[in-house]
Amino acid sequence: MRVIIKLFGGLKSKRAFPQNEEGDLILEFTEPIAVGEIIETLDLNKKPFIVILNGVNLVDFSIKVKEGDEISLFPPIAGGQC
Amino acid sequence: MKILRVNMSDETPSAKFEELGEYEGFGGRALTSAIISKEVDPLCHPLSADNKFVIAGGLLSGTAAAMSGRISVGCKSPLTGGIKEANAGGQAAQVMGKLGIAAIVLEGKPKTDDTYKIFINKEGVKIEKDNSLKMLSNYDLVQKMRSQYGDKIACISIGPAGDMKMSAASVAITDMEGRPTRHCGRGGVGAVLASKGVKVIVLDDTGTLPRQPKDPEAFKDANKRFVAGLQKHPVTGQGLPAYGTNVLTNIINEVGAYPTYNFKDGKFAGARKISGEVQAELEKQRGGNPTHGCHRGCVIRCSGIYHDKDGNYLTKQPEYETVWAFGGNCGIDDIDKIAMMDFLCDNYGLDTIEIGAAIGVAMEAGLIKWGDADGVINLIHEIGKGTYLGRIIGNGAAFTAKAFGVERVPVVKGQAIPAYDPRAVQGIGVTYATSPMGADHTAGYSIALNVLKTGGFVDPLKPEGQVELSRNLQIATAFIDSTGMCLFIAFALLDQPETNQALIDMINAFYGWNMKDSDVMEYGKKVLKFERDFNARAGFTKQHDRLPRFFYKEPISPHNVVFMVKDEELDQLFNW
Ligand code: SF4
Repeated sequence: MRVIIKLFGGLKSKRAFPQNEEGDLILEFTEPIAVGEIIETLDLNKKPFIVILNGVNLVDFSIKVKEGDEISLFPPIAGGQC
Repeated sequence: MKILRVNMSDETPSAKFEELGEYEGFGGRALTSAIISKEVDPLCHPLSADNKFVIAGGLLSGTAAAMSGRISVGCKSPLTGGIKEANAGGQAAQVMGKLGIAAIVLEGKPKTDDTYKIFINKEGVKIEKDNSLKMLSNYDLVQKMRSQYGDKIACISIGPAGDMKMSAASVAITDMEGRPTRHCGRGGVGAVLASKGVKVIVLDDTGTLPRQPKDPEAFKDANKRFVAGLQKHPVTGQGLPAYGTNVLTNIINEVGAYPTYNFKDGKFAGARKISGEVQAELEKQRGGNPTHGCHRGCVIRCSGIYHDKDGNYLTKQPEYETVWAFGGNCGIDDIDKIAMMDFLCDNYGLDTIEIGAAIGVAMEAGLIKWGDADGVINLIHEIGKGTYLGRIIGNGAAFTAKAFGVERVPVVKGQAIPAYDPRAVQGIGVTYATSPMGADHTAGYSIALNVLKTGGFVDPLKPEGQVELSRNLQIATAFIDSTGMCLFIAFALLDQPETNQALIDMINAFYGWNMKDSDVMEYGKKVLKFERDFNARAGFTKQHDRLPRFFYKEPISPHNVVFMVKDEELDQLFNW
């Protein structure tokens, strides 16, 4: 099972993973695995605060991923004034 | 603190200082909205002598309080036809506060088409006719003022878009470097300043001191706790300083709420190339600066300085909404070209959101192709020159849509919808629909809870809970906009009750008040009541508190959702 991990806002993995053209990480799993466990596996420089699974902001990180899922991770960020 | 009233109808315009009187206790947005609501005929033409143009620093502007440099301008808006308050950072609020001026109220209108400049220092006010300033761009104008009055001044000015009284004309405020980069952008406020015959207000606080609090020790202690709270919070202490507001491009795109091609899609393939992460890296590489304050006393420093490929200053760090307006909305993924558009809008004195939205509408009509960055730059020059085409675009998205026969018009109360799709983030749709300002994300920034998980989380894709969320944010924002504080303090205030308390303690120590949390909410409600009341008398009904119909009918990808908050629920927003 292949899962794409997109890291933003200065997040970096301390481990080496294969990457696609965009620089996103490609992770392969044989068993269904929870989003929270994937985040542990990544061994990031900072703790992610916002976790998005296929465009949906997750509250429950125990949810299991499927083939082709995309996870986007962000540290605490904000903005919104002009 | 005094109100400075300038009557522009007199043959030689006259100025007089007045006590605050019935406006005692009001600052910033509370003061501009109270004066407009009480003194302006809601049925007047916005460019007529009967409209007033009010400029006000906040309750804490000109004091030693951190973050207190926000300035508000208010008037009846030529874009929406309703009340308008637009605010910006820069140096002017602090300088006005130190000069002892709570508000400048420009009244009447010259009988000729002469242009005036107003110079204010501790000796008094000088109003001079200077027709050589007409049609000058903001950067040239400010340069000229600095050569006349010295480098220490702060300027409040309009560019050619204001001179031509366009409905997307902004009011520029100079920053710490004396550049006209901070803009009260929305609602065509620049056109109203122009209608008063005023091109620039020059402020010089030489020889003045910061305003002194009633209880200096308590004030100092509260300010210290307030600053510590901002520095401790991960958003105000790290996220905003590192990447600025444009860090939102990736996240808003990832949650499918990034309006693309005039609100046809919720994701833009080129988003990463124009993101805050890329922008900050370029700023570092080219000798700019990704972490910079827009006024002295800002400890968050979300702004920055953007250099071109050759390492020369191009513009201040473009904000997220600007990058979106010309980026995804127009299908452009070239950050240097977008930075140029930001500079041109600052120089001509234009609201980047309104212009980006208007050009998106023009692209929909086929005027130029999606993604044509040079075409957009040409169009902005057309606005600056005042060609017929430029005058159409310079009057905003709704006007452009009419001129070109476009049905998909992303506006509420005539004002362009900014960078967050209300179908994928339902809470911000409630704010767009109901704010007395027209579509304005800052009026009740639900993104904080719908996406960024600051202060909690409310599911953005469901209609439940959005009205209550927007209501609470609109009330709290109306208060913060009155303090002179930058709205970004709200991220720390929402999560940290002790930082919220520090702000209230600081205001209490300054004024000798005994304000509690509940009084803060009452203050915000009072401001919204002034604004709603003005709009009702100007002819606004509940039918104006709605989104354009296409948001209810056309699902947005990738979530395939429409806006689902019911009209009856929207009507409950101000029923507190
Ligand atoms: S946080 Fe940003 S917008 Fe707010 S005062 Fe500082 S630089 Fe200006």
